[in-house]
Amino acid sequence: MRFVPRRRVHTLAGPYALDAVEAAERNRFERHLRGCRSCQQEVRAFTATATALGLAAAATPPARLRGRVLDAIATLEAARTGDPEIATVLAAPDARTTSAGTSAGGTATVVASTREGKLVFTSSGLPALPPERVYELWFIGAGGARPAGLVPPASGESTIPVLASGLEAGDKVGVTVEPAGGTTSPTTTPIVVMAVAA
Amino acid sequence: MRDNPAEQGDQLLEALLQQAARGEAAAFESVYDVIAGPVYGLIRKVLRDPAQSEEVTQEVLLEVWRTASRFDPSRGGAVAWVLTIAHRRAVDRVRSEAAATDREQRSVLPDALASDDVADSVAASLEAERVRRCLEGLTELQRQSITLAYYGGYTYTQVAKGLNVTLATVKARIRGGLIRLRDCLGVTW
Repeated sequence: MRFVPRRRVHTLAGPYALDAVEAAERNRFERHLRGCRSCQQEVRAFTATATALGLAAAATPPARLRGRVLDAIATLEAARTGDPEIATVLAAPDARTTSAGTSAGGTATVVASTREGKLVFTSSGLPALPPERVYELWFIGAGGARPAGLVPPASGESTIPVLASGLEAGDKVGVTVEPAGGTTSPTTTPIVVMAVAA
Repeated sequence: MRDNPAEQGDQLLEALLQQAARGEAAAFESVYDVIAGPVYGLIRKVLRDPAQSEEVTQEVLLEVWRTASRFDPSRGGAVAWVLTIAHRRAVDRVRSEAAATDREQRSVLPDALASDDVADSVAASLEAERVRRCLEGLTELQRQSITLAYYGGYTYTQVAKGLNVTLATVKARIRGGLIRLRDCLGVTW
């Protein structure tokens, strides 16, 4: 790791407030920040300034996004209230939300916690499948794909959030269409593969 | 400044986030209506691709819902909190391996410079007009450094390379530019 003289560290407040530093340098500056009152003040002022730049870029999102986001939140809220294990994942300090469109249409959403080794999967707008087919989840790691459970049926636009255990650091998460009941290894091309780790 | 739209937004959004954190689902509809435009617009500005921007906007809003109880008003305003999450996610996406390679190959930095006018794609709001005027008050190097870093999602190292100046120069121009912008915008914190 490169040594950064104290005097030079201070000048990172600007780039830091604009997210214009790479991860390693960001971590180093954050360590410095904890003990530097003047840097904290400067970062706060610069962040407020950056916020004004952000507000100036406001644009109207596509109308369909509102229903999709609120639907996903309503179904996750119900799961959080009803299932303590899901609540634990959603509240995990290292949890991270990832959303991605699928090649079949619709959006897949994963909240994953590597520390818990678990994730919560939900989706909206996935096409309905015939009764002999099912959407199956996979953990995809260096050793290949491991089954991570089946996607429950939809309630309205969204599928009911489901918990999957056995997530390992570095795993990606995929979804395939499989025969009812699922398989032990994927037989079709994934409709989506997501990097989910924090 | 009382009439600062960011501060009015802060008070409203802060109250809504507290309600949402208590599990009041209806409160999040209002959170969406207050902040989805700035979140989507900022992400779109950085990512440019509409489909990816929609995905990341959804990610950010779900993250805001999930972590609403962690928002700490003593560390800054609610709007800044949300837009910081949005900007960092957009930057993560743009710097992810595949996207970064693509950017490198297409060398989009000149494009980004050519369209560093904030006014493009921006609703002609009073706030946007004020920011545009203040950006025009910077030196060219200050303005380019800040817009490439913030709207372009480039690191200051990439900005230095793109503008053919030293790292120390870029850091100094970003800092000097932000101080001037802060004063011009009357930002309080």
